[in-house]
Amino acid sequence: MALIDLVSPDVVRVPVSAENKPDVLKELVDVLYNAGKISNSSDALKALLTRESQGSTGLENGIAVPHAKTHVVDSLTLAIGIAPQGVEFDALDGEPSRLFFLLLAPPDQSGPHIEALSEIARLTRSQAFCRTLASANSPEEVVELFQD
Amino acid sequence: MGSPIRTMMVHVDGTEQSIVAAQYAVLLAKQIEARLFAAFVVNTRALSDLVKTHIFLETEEQEYERDLEADADRYLNHVKQLAAQKDCPIETVKARGNVHQELIRVVTENHVDLLVLGELAHVRSRRDEFYNEAERAMRSVSCTVLIVKDEDRVYDLFESNL
Repeated sequence: MALIDLVSPDVVRVPVSAENKPDVLKELVDVLYNAGKISNSSDALKALLTRESQGSTGLENGIAVPHAKTHVVDSLTLAIGIAPQGVEFDALDGEPSRLFFLLLAPPDQSGPHIEALSEIARLTRSQAFCRTLASANSPEEVVELFQD
Repeated sequence: MGSPIRTMMVHVDGTEQSIVAAQYAVLLAKQIEARLFAAFVVNTRALSDLVKTHIFLETEEQEYERDLEADADRYLNHVKQLAAQKDCPIETVKARGNVHQELIRVVTENHVDLLVLGELAHVRSRRDEFYNEAERAMRSVSCTVLIVKDEDRVYDLFESNL
């Protein structure tokens, strides 16, 4: 499964208004709930917070990839958030995070989960892609970027 | 004159398309009396890359590797059952590493004449074609490649040709 198959305007939040890690996760989980992608937002949030408690998914250069296995999804589910102001996310480099790729996967779909995370890792290696994504003003712009 | 296809291998990766390819491969191998392999590659390369990029913790790497190993066993067993339904001998190979490189290795080591792949995903962005492991294998292996399409027809063939 390609990442583009998971990206649609209703799972993109631009801009993210939350100002701290738990609130960013909650905001993006709510995006998925409102898009009808998950059945239970509190269980999804709990799974993400449990994963974060083991080690932050805040990487370098403003990227964060919160992810978790959970029964609240039937298939791989992605939300994308863009926070131009940056949010403290316990990132590896200590810098605020601006691009959030939140991925939820059913426990029995490790293969697609790994493929999607690998694709996010490849995409975010491109500084040009990340810069353009961070400057997107609408969910539609974000989707177009993934289609390029 | 001998058959141009003496040894076939189908790549199984857990997708529906790869199972359809396996059904087709079983029917074809039975028909032409070719030796048939089914190969599943546990993508440990992707797992180690995710640790290197700090997306995965080492404990996650281990957990997901166990999941992938279990997937490999489950899908290879399923393909064995499909072959058994048609009374077609099959040998299974579980490899670990970079998917397309492992496929090339297994093809070479077993002198495979024909690699059978499931229908490739539609390319929806320029990036897709560079990173689809099946597509990379298709371009890189030394043998002939067969892409199985038309899932419904293959299913009917498999069910009717008992």
